[in-house]
Amino acid sequence: MQFISYSFVILWMITFALYYLVPKRMQWYVLLAASLIFYGVGLGGFPLNLLLTGVTTYGCGIYIKKTLEQEKEARKQCVDREQKKTVKAAFQKRRKRVQILYMAFNLGLLVFYKYAVIAVPVIETLTGRHAGFLEKVIMPLGISFYTLTAISYVVDAGRENCEVETDFLKVLLFLAYFPSVTQGPFNRFSRMKEQFEGEHGFSYDGMLRGIQRFVWGAFKKLVIADRLGIFVDRVYGVEAASVSGSIYACATVLYMLQLYADFSGYIDMASGVSETFGIILPDNFRRPYFAKSVAEFWRRWHITLGAWFKDYVMFSFVMSGTGRRLGKACKNKWNGYGRQAVPIMGTMLVWFFTGIWHGRTVSYMLWGIYYGLIMSVSLVLEPFYESRKERLPVKGKHGERIWTFIRMARTWLIVFLADVLIRSGSLAQAGAIYTSFVTRLHIGSLLSSEITSYGLGRYDFLLLIPVLLIWLAVSAAEERGLDVRTVLAGRPAVIRWACYYGIVLMVLITGIYGGSYDTAAFMYQSF
Amino acid sequence: MQERILEILSEYCEEALTYNGDSMMEDGIIDSFTVINVVSDLEDEFDIEIDAKYVIAENFRNKEAIIALVQKLLEE
Repeated sequence: MQFISYSFVILWMITFALYYLVPKRMQWYVLLAASLIFYGVGLGGFPLNLLLTGVTTYGCGIYIKKTLEQEKEARKQCVDREQKKTVKAAFQKRRKRVQILYMAFNLGLLVFYKYAVIAVPVIETLTGRHAGFLEKVIMPLGISFYTLTAISYVVDAGRENCEVETDFLKVLLFLAYFPSVTQGPFNRFSRMKEQFEGEHGFSYDGMLRGIQRFVWGAFKKLVIADRLGIFVDRVYGVEAASVSGSIYACATVLYMLQLYADFSGYIDMASGVSETFGIILPDNFRRPYFAKSVAEFWRRWHITLGAWFKDYVMFSFVMSGTGRRLGKACKNKWNGYGRQAVPIMGTMLVWFFTGIWHGRTVSYMLWGIYYGLIMSVSLVLEPFYESRKERLPVKGKHGERIWTFIRMARTWLIVFLADVLIRSGSLAQAGAIYTSFVTRLHIGSLLSSEITSYGLGRYDFLLLIPVLLIWLAVSAAEERGLDVRTVLAGRPAVIRWACYYGIVLMVLITGIYGGSYDTAAFMYQSF
Repeated sequence: MQERILEILSEYCEEALTYNGDSMMEDGIIDSFTVINVVSDLEDEFDIEIDAKYVIAENFRNKEAIIALVQKLLEE
């Protein structure tokens, strides 16, 4: 069930009406019912995998709660600090075993569904038997998202960073919450539990703000992302040797915008739907193309995924026994750079997993390693950059502005090169495209009729100019700390409603729809 | 103790000493590398073990929160 479909709008309206009609303490049941319907319809069957993850997550949480209580009792009987440490270590070991089993099961399911298809030739080579049945395996809707969300709950429970839930249905709602189940953002249990259990009265402003954000998301998805997608798909779909480097460069820049408009559009729509229920989802984007470094870019792009990997992979590794031992062994080596060895290993680990989480091809793995290397190199070279900057003529207001722009442009270039890798159909195509940037750039192609031969006509390009400028203006205002919806609310009714109708009409008239008024699937849904 | 914690912090990020907000990590004042290095130095300096469960944005929201964390671990 896509967000932009009649069935979703009907589900949203019914859920909204029931949510504010039932007694407030029952509101979360309405959300659970809507989530299961949304998920069941989207999946087209019984949500067995989601339930399996729900049951194991709930069970693991209860086990953690019990052992934590037992540990507290046992520690009360201890006479000194050493004894307390021993008791703590023993209980931690028990919890860790169960958590490892839990993760092996749930990550195993994720890996199975994600990699079954590409494992076919490997299995056939190793066993000599036909493994075609694996090709029929379909990845359950949202499994990449709800599995990581579930793991965050279990780890947080073990770390005592969140309260363990004793109601199975609330755990299920946390995993299946319909605005975020298919593409995130990755929610944290303590934040969501508080909101699910809160009593939400109807608010006209809340409803209006939610709808505004949903429509803004639809604008980004239908008017920008899906339009850009036509050009990008055509260019990347033809034989690499027949396209000039400048057309590929143009398509890649548009792909950067398409991916951002598509995913942030989805997040705006999900957050908007959720806002109408008085439930605020975490921010997932903070205008990434304003970032001055790659590290900052990733603090602004898919924020909740980055936070997930930082909290549950990076810190878990660095603070583990192995991480600490390695840290101590390397600390005083290599002229003081040795102390960065473990953070660098952690970074490479995070980016390797980020790569394979996003896709099941070698390109994604290389994409992850590429970002890991860039982050690591910038860490080591940071003092060098700082000393170089001191020598550059970037003093004063204008100098700072130019320096900021140079750093932003450098970030765009790094992301641009990475995006060629993941948008190409194969490593060979990516290689041919990189080569085309050097050997046959042909800038003139951008001004010739060739540019309009890839699905987007002259009027589409002309339409994109004001549309992208509107998006840029909104982003620039947000970057300055303004909340555009609040600013609009303070304007006279004529201006306010002209803006609302303007955006809605643009979505309706200039949005890209399929034959039955369905939209193209969201790009992150396939990750 | 406070002076020593602030010295360690300033070694990696002087901006953290003048920061007055309450989300140093989200605001990009300190990144995960800084956190890891600060944690490692605090562990060596005060002979404490800072588990991954304490390495959360809440405990690194500003310099006062870091001081409170070390105090808590010393009292445990």
